[in-house]
Amino acid sequence: MADLTAAERLDRTLAIVPWVANQPNGTATFSEIGERFNIDSDDLRDCLVITSMVGVHPYTPDVLINAIVDADTVSIELPDYFRRPLRLTAEQTFALLTSAKALLSVPGADEDSALARGLAKVLIALGEASETAVEIAIDTASDAITEQLRSAIDNRLCVEITYYSYGRDNTGNRLIDPWTIHSEGGLWYLQGWCHTSGAERIFRIDRIREVTQIDRAFDVPDPVPEFQLFDSSGVNGRVTLRLGPSAKWVVEYYPTESVTSEPNGAITVELAIGSLAWFERLLLRLGPDAVVLDASEGLDAVGPASARRLLAIYSE
Amino acid sequence: MTPTDKSAEKFERQMNLLAALSDTTQGIRAADIQQRVPGYNPDHDSFRRTFERDKKDLLSLGVPIEVVVGATADLTAYRVDKSKYELPDPGLESDELAALHLALETVAVGSTQADMARAMWRLGGVVDSATSDPLGVPVGELTEIPSDPALIPLFRAVTERRTATFEYETTAGVSERNVEPWHLDFQRGRWTLAAFDTSREEQRNFRLDRIRGDVVLDGAGSQIHPAPSTLDEQSDPWEFGDSDPIMVSVQFDAEVASFASESLSSCLSEEAPGGSRIFQVPVTNWPAFRSFVLSFLDHAEVLRPADYRTAMIDWLSAIAGDSNG
Repeated sequence: MADLTAAERLDRTLAIVPWVANQPNGTATFSEIGERFNIDSDDLRDCLVITSMVGVHPYTPDVLINAIVDADTVSIELPDYFRRPLRLTAEQTFALLTSAKALLSVPGADEDSALARGLAKVLIALGEASETAVEIAIDTASDAITEQLRSAIDNRLCVEITYYSYGRDNTGNRLIDPWTIHSEGGLWYLQGWCHTSGAERIFRIDRIREVTQIDRAFDVPDPVPEFQLFDSSGVNGRVTLRLGPSAKWVVEYYPTESVTSEPNGAITVELAIGSLAWFERLLLRLGPDAVVLDASEGLDAVGPASARRLLAIYSE
Repeated sequence: MTPTDKSAEKFERQMNLLAALSDTTQGIRAADIQQRVPGYNPDHDSFRRTFERDKKDLLSLGVPIEVVVGATADLTAYRVDKSKYELPDPGLESDELAALHLALETVAVGSTQADMARAMWRLGGVVDSATSDPLGVPVGELTEIPSDPALIPLFRAVTERRTATFEYETTAGVSERNVEPWHLDFQRGRWTLAAFDTSREEQRNFRLDRIRGDVVLDGAGSQIHPAPSTLDEQSDPWEFGDSDPIMVSVQFDAEVASFASESLSSCLSEEAPGGSRIFQVPVTNWPAFRSFVLSFLDHAEVLRPADYRTAMIDWLSAIAGDSNG
């Protein structure tokens, strides 16, 4: 009994006892229980022997647990308590619903799978309030595009994708060796070798507009390089910004090289800039909340230049 | 006495205590527990300490212990309502149990391994799958859903119909909000709460990452307003404001029109020359919407109303360093 804490033992026993009592003749073997509830025979035997001594005042047979522990089986007959397992806690219910719904929201998930059936039954058992409590949408990537990418990954065939690059702010075609699909933070990504740029790249699947399978095989590197969303290898400069108090979110959202607080509530941050379009968006969004204090060559006048470019549209 | 004996004693005592609490409808007084439940010390203070610890242990497992207040402290009784204790039988087949277990193991939502195992025991234990693909999901990739400290309290508020109070940060600053939580939603990598805001007297949506400090819950069933059968789908940042919605019309060029559609799928739109598209967007938070439009750089233009168009021109002019637009 040494390995289990009293709480673990209690929690598990309160699940095992009603399960056994509900089996045919209220009987189950130790190995069956051990496998199902992940408990070794000695621990199980100890728990069940103690359970056989549990009861309530005045200890007449109708209010005692009747547990008969044999060499490798146990039979349990219950009074009017411990007949059902304890309800799930809020944490357990949340984890169960969220994980099941997350997987079922994956494009291509089977609506008749054991998971879908299991979730439907659990929702009924939990009651109406749980049914609509949480909704999960993993992403907005089109099913068709995800399917085509999966099939190319399975068949080890190259693909040509039409991709909108947020960092470069343009749309173009690229030839890719598709290695894996990965989900992070609710979005799906394709990781692979980009022949067009001659480097490993990560693409957001919801920005892929078209996929064409190319009849050209490729080898997946072994092991596949670690999936890293923030890649600083493409850095082409550094800037130092002074941010007003309402622009502090920048520090929470993006990797910073250094952060210094000023007494007036403003902060000074140093950022590595990997994409000009990304930096333009940041400055346009922050407006007067950001002042460029120092910048690598070519990055010092990005804010005013991009603002003038956008103003040109409004003067047409 | 060895520690092992002590642990076994505690287990037996707590099983007996739970049996006693479950076997009564009016409740059982502490004095009767001390006398009738085996394993408690006859000394009053020592009993009280052990009893309080046992109660705490049972509560932490989720045992719903109710206190029945009597005329005097001595008459205070305790009980466990079986209808609140018992998990109705979901009748899960072995492949369904296996699938739920796999889902818990595949998707990390901030819960611990131990907690997930406990959930599975209560559902009937963990079994090997009879089918080869119980998930029916054609991926082997790990999925991660970001966790947030406000999630569990708000989930309880939704399922137990409790009102909730928390500090919420917007561009206008931090303010206390009192809400009736209806629904949690995870979309585009972000958790949001749809709730009835009691001081604004209508539905509001909240981003969980903007909730500051603890979420404080009121009693179960303290919500007054029933959740509407269809909630307003307002998961975009420019719909999280407190001002009345203004229809803003924005044109996106052909290069980005399809991506704009994904974010603005519930908005009216019409085709414009050259493959561009004009969307009518209800906006309650102009700074958030301005940021959204600017993220499209020179592919998007605010057309109407005139004062919003002017506001955008003024904003850009200030960045450009021009004295006026």
